[in-house]
Amino acid sequence: MSAPLLKIADLRVSVAGTPVLHGVSLTVRAGEVHAIMGPNGSGKSTLAHVLAGRPGYVVTGGSAQFDGVDLLALAPEERARAGLFLGFQYPVEIPGVNNAYLLKAALNARRRYRGEPDIDAFDFLNVVRVKMRTMQIDDALLARGVNEGFSGGEKKRNEILQMLVMEPRLALLDETDSGLDIDALKIVGRGINSLRSPDRAVLLVTHYQRLLDHVVPDQVHVLVRGRIVRSGDRELALELERRGYDWLLESAAAVA
Amino acid sequence: MSALERMLGEFAAQRADSARASVLTAARLSAAEALRTHALPGRREENWRYTDLRLLERVPTFLPAAAMAADGAIALTNALPAVLPGFARLVFIDGRLRPELSLPDALHLETLRNHAALAVATHTDPKSICFETSGDGRLGLLAGMFAPEPLSLRITGTMALEIISMVASAAYSDIELQLAAHAKLTLVERHLAAPAPVVAEAASGTTALGCARLRLILDADAQLVHTRLQQADAVALCYDTVTASLAERASYQLRHIAAGGGSARSTTQIRLRGRAATVRIRAAATAHAAQVADLSFTVLHEAPDTRSDQLFRGIASDQARVACSADVQVDPGAAGARVKQSLRGLIDGKGAEVDLRPRLTINTDDIQATHGATTGRLDDDLLFYLLSRGLSAAEARSLLKWAFLGEAFSAIEPAALRRDAELAAAGRLSDSPAAELLQ
Repeated sequence: MSAPLLKIADLRVSVAGTPVLHGVSLTVRAGEVHAIMGPNGSGKSTLAHVLAGRPGYVVTGGSAQFDGVDLLALAPEERARAGLFLGFQYPVEIPGVNNAYLLKAALNARRRYRGEPDIDAFDFLNVVRVKMRTMQIDDALLARGVNEGFSGGEKKRNEILQMLVMEPRLALLDETDSGLDIDALKIVGRGINSLRSPDRAVLLVTHYQRLLDHVVPDQVHVLVRGRIVRSGDRELALELERRGYDWLLESAAAVA
Repeated sequence: MSALERMLGEFAAQRADSARASVLTAARLSAAEALRTHALPGRREENWRYTDLRLLERVPTFLPAAAMAADGAIALTNALPAVLPGFARLVFIDGRLRPELSLPDALHLETLRNHAALAVATHTDPKSICFETSGDGRLGLLAGMFAPEPLSLRITGTMALEIISMVASAAYSDIELQLAAHAKLTLVERHLAAPAPVVAEAASGTTALGCARLRLILDADAQLVHTRLQQADAVALCYDTVTASLAERASYQLRHIAAGGGSARSTTQIRLRGRAATVRIRAAATAHAAQVADLSFTVLHEAPDTRSDQLFRGIASDQARVACSADVQVDPGAAGARVKQSLRGLIDGKGAEVDLRPRLTINTDDIQATHGATTGRLDDDLLFYLLSRGLSAAEARSLLKWAFLGEAFSAIEPAALRRDAELAAAGRLSDSPAAELLQ
């Protein structure tokens, strides 16, 4: 068994003074894909964002280690350079910031962290074009502002493109499947699968199991009211699909 | 003694020394009389809240600097920006034309030396008179009084002209350009600080003053693309006044980059007097430390089917203040007018201030108008997004600021000029953009 890439222990988080996570513990090892499922407001996105270092998410207890390092002590950009990637549920539009520029800046930030020189323009284009083909993204989007005027599907595919270019060790994908049609879901699934390797891990945050048809998880966790109330394999996701979350809400209420 | 009393006194003394009567003298006297009657603008006036004219008290003398010896020519030549291919060039140092620094073609323009000839065309109209003598344009009266070598040019055909105004001590320029019917002019106007050796030679530099007045008259179907680059950062006080009058189907594109002066005020009035005349303004202002950049644009739709499109982007860093007043007035006779206005300001310092004042006065029912004005700080969501991609906080902030300004620069051509404009603006941001970001 490989060493833990991400080890969360009794993590407690408040947002705007309201406790949202009430003691989450989770271990993700290199090579694994974990899915975090749960109803609306259960704290799934909070978990992803606090791990990425979003301001305003206050850790009130517990710990999170990334590859043996105290993740919570790092600034957001340091987490990204160290190999943690957050795929946003609602990617922002940044008019005036060229998509290609951001991709290159992000890649070079990772390379410098690893002690590698900046990539030259020619090699960068080669790398990006290969990944763009995987994600079926048109070349023209490279010259546009980041997500500017992109459709919902294009934004999500662009998130995965960024992930593929940055080659993170741990990808946190926050409801990457939301708003995608069937074809786009397949493309996104293909992109995520292309990143899978023995030294990387993926944490998928999702409402539904449909993404898990394309990206088969090693473990599934159900987060309810800020606590992981059940863990299992892919069968758990299928069971949730059949039964919904109500039966778990009752058990969570009993724990609380 | 107030600055106004002092400047009028110095003007009167100068006139007594050279009592030669001329049309030019009459124009100067008229300007002085208007200033005596209407006085300088003050902070109690809504449009002048951000321009601290009390700083004029520190100007040692309002008289234009004497003609400079040729000794500083080498330093001046080195300080001039690279020549823009295809452009004629006129270089003024402290308001005096320097033929040896200008490009010869520019000196063979069809020059109307009789300054009053064109003045008649613009100044019999009550609106122009009101603006220039008692309205927001009256700071231009200083240029009318003191400019040592006012210039009037008539442009026919197609031309590209660069006018460089370099300030060493007290520089006044008063220029009038008339574009004949169907003429096409690409005009680049740069305001620069003179290099250090020349400033020392001029025994000034403590409170240097640059004051410019530019009158533009576009006859029917004339086209003007005008890039104004205010980059005299070392000059304490920079005041300029522009008036433009457009006849039928005339087109005026103004790109104005305010990135100079400790306290800079730019006042622009554009009159769309002829049917289907159009103006498109792209303006940006950056200021840091305790600098002030105050811009005022007034567009008057006086004829049917006229178009105006204004965009302003301003960033105030540290304790700087950036202000932009954008006033659009649509007359009852301007049916079919189209008005578009977008003003945005970014506050980038605890003591920084941005004040945007959009005003639309519409006196006709047949009009399409869109406008928006927002001021705020950098968006935390955008910032976090970039941080989550590994960019440093400084890099992310710089990138967002540069993106914010981008629309104001994108139309500037040629590329070398755009880069100069970007560098000037970037020099007044708290985070310098990466070289790759400059277009």
